[in-house]
Amino acid sequence: MVMFNTKKRRRKMEMAGVQFTKSNSRFGDIAARMLRNKLGMVGLIIIVVLLILVIFAPLFTKYPYFEQSFPDRFLYPNAEHILGTDNFGRDLWSRMLYGGRISLLVSLVALVMSNVVGIIIGAVSGYFGGAVDEIINRILDILMSIPSMLMAIAVAAALGAGPVKTSIAIAVTGMPYGARLVRSSVLALKGNEFIEAARATGSSNLRIIFKHVLPNTLAPIIVNATLNIGSNIMAISGLSFVGLGVQPPTPEWGSILSAGREFIRDFPPIVIFPALFIGLTIFAINILGDALRDALDPRLKD
Amino acid sequence: MSLLEIKNLTVEYVLRKSVVHAVNNISLNVDAGKTLGLVGETGAGKTTTALSIMGLLPHPPAKVQSGEILFEGQDLLKMKEHDLENIRGNKISMIFQDPMTALNPVLTVGEQIAETFHLHGNYSRAEAEKESLKMLEMVGIRPERSTEYPHQFSGGMKQRVVIAMALACKPQLLIADEPTTALDVTIQAQVLELMNDLKVTFNTAMLLITHDLGIVAETCDDVAIIYAGQLVEYGSIEQIFDNPLHPYTIGLFGSIPSLDEDVERLKPIPGLMPDPANLPVGCKFCTRCSRAVKQCEEAEPEYLEVEPGHFVRCNRIGGTDNG
Repeated sequence: MVMFNTKKRRRKMEMAGVQFTKSNSRFGDIAARMLRNKLGMVGLIIIVVLLILVIFAPLFTKYPYFEQSFPDRFLYPNAEHILGTDNFGRDLWSRMLYGGRISLLVSLVALVMSNVVGIIIGAVSGYFGGAVDEIINRILDILMSIPSMLMAIAVAAALGAGPVKTSIAIAVTGMPYGARLVRSSVLALKGNEFIEAARATGSSNLRIIFKHVLPNTLAPIIVNATLNIGSNIMAISGLSFVGLGVQPPTPEWGSILSAGREFIRDFPPIVIFPALFIGLTIFAINILGDALRDALDPRLKD
Repeated sequence: MSLLEIKNLTVEYVLRKSVVHAVNNISLNVDAGKTLGLVGETGAGKTTTALSIMGLLPHPPAKVQSGEILFEGQDLLKMKEHDLENIRGNKISMIFQDPMTALNPVLTVGEQIAETFHLHGNYSRAEAEKESLKMLEMVGIRPERSTEYPHQFSGGMKQRVVIAMALACKPQLLIADEPTTALDVTIQAQVLELMNDLKVTFNTAMLLITHDLGIVAETCDDVAIIYAGQLVEYGSIEQIFDNPLHPYTIGLFGSIPSLDEDVERLKPIPGLMPDPANLPVGCKFCTRCSRAVKQCEEAEPEYLEVEPGHFVRCNRIGGTDNG
């Protein structure tokens, strides 16, 4: 009866010109939902503008970031130096642009590294449970028991200075927190019937983790990642401060900020501008992350 | 040879303080194309039986103590995980109780059905997609809805999707674990009709787990009544419905409201099922049985064939004492 009905219905629909093909792709769907989110687009635009400024820094400033000029110390923003100069008479605008290269690159690379590793470790530990979970968790406990700054310093001291090595040092310190977060989401998700149903259709464990478990844990992962960007930038400056991050005179937002704090009372621009750039980046990434999370969650569609 | 033969299956959940005897020495047969109804109360071991066929029992705490589950002559319990994955969803598939949670919320229904094709058999992406559209149509969902997500479907529609997934690879055996419990009555009828239709189309055997004798009457060829992890009565649908012998089976029928007679109250079976961690020595049902005698408390009744194909486990039936 039912089959008969559907056949008949289908014939009717075909006659009416209904196409039985999948028209809209998944990616297009997500992009369309992203575009509809105004705040998210603002975030995206800020990030893109920042990246363009930073990547093509020489086009936007005429001063090299390292050129000192004693007579021009502590200049407030003016026509020559749009953000003023620092205590060595270096142009702050060019230091911001060049500094962003390190800050953004290192914090993003560290973010990707710590999340990729953290997600895999957390998913495996939460999904399999038992002895695997215990062992992984005790290792994470050990890593987390070391204060993160100390940990980053230790790793950076072992590896040496340089953008890639600094990224690794920061990634190692951030990884356990990401792993814990993913583990707890996986634990909450594991009891769901659709995971069992996936097993009942013959999916292997690996396939279940990547196809069914992780896509459902994206929301907390994205939120955590966007929050991490800020702390990563601060961690870089912390490492630079003890001489293990970026070496002077290479500028970097965090280290400009920490170097400028002596002058905070007499010459505020030297701390205000790097703080503004860091804050703007964090803000933009946060709203972009929120938009991305909403776009990726089909339950929030329309 | 039957398609599925369960021989003396015993499954326990080994907990720290106690051992839960979930399934005790169960033997079942499902022939190709036939439907066996597995009927029992909550906690009787129905789902445990189903999960042990699928090899999906949670280890620990579940442990198969003894028994064999032969599918096409091969013992599923001895099979390697990898080989089981090839059987699951392909030759044996399962429909879960609650369609609301049995679908992945972040994948479209089309993708989820295509997944089954993708896992079993050499389908390209496009082919799997095409097949999934066919399946959707077969269960009465317009194919253009394949790009929608589970939350955009009603409960009955979701169960149709689940059925489409389960039947995608035309399995020889379908295990349906209370497939209609979470649905309202009007949808129940539709889903049952659909399952019956598809069963005939694909010549699929079915193990239907339910506590609803009405559903059994509509769909099954044979019935097994399970109580406290034991089979208490087993027979063809005519034998069970026309001539129920075990007091528990009789009690189950007594608990159904009748349309023909004007009765003030239903006759429920008094009491609760015994704690499966602490089962009585004798007949498991004796504490609730109106016909229990002393012998019932002391000795476990034998599982006797009272007429061809009709088995009963009760001291008061057959043998010497026929009171």
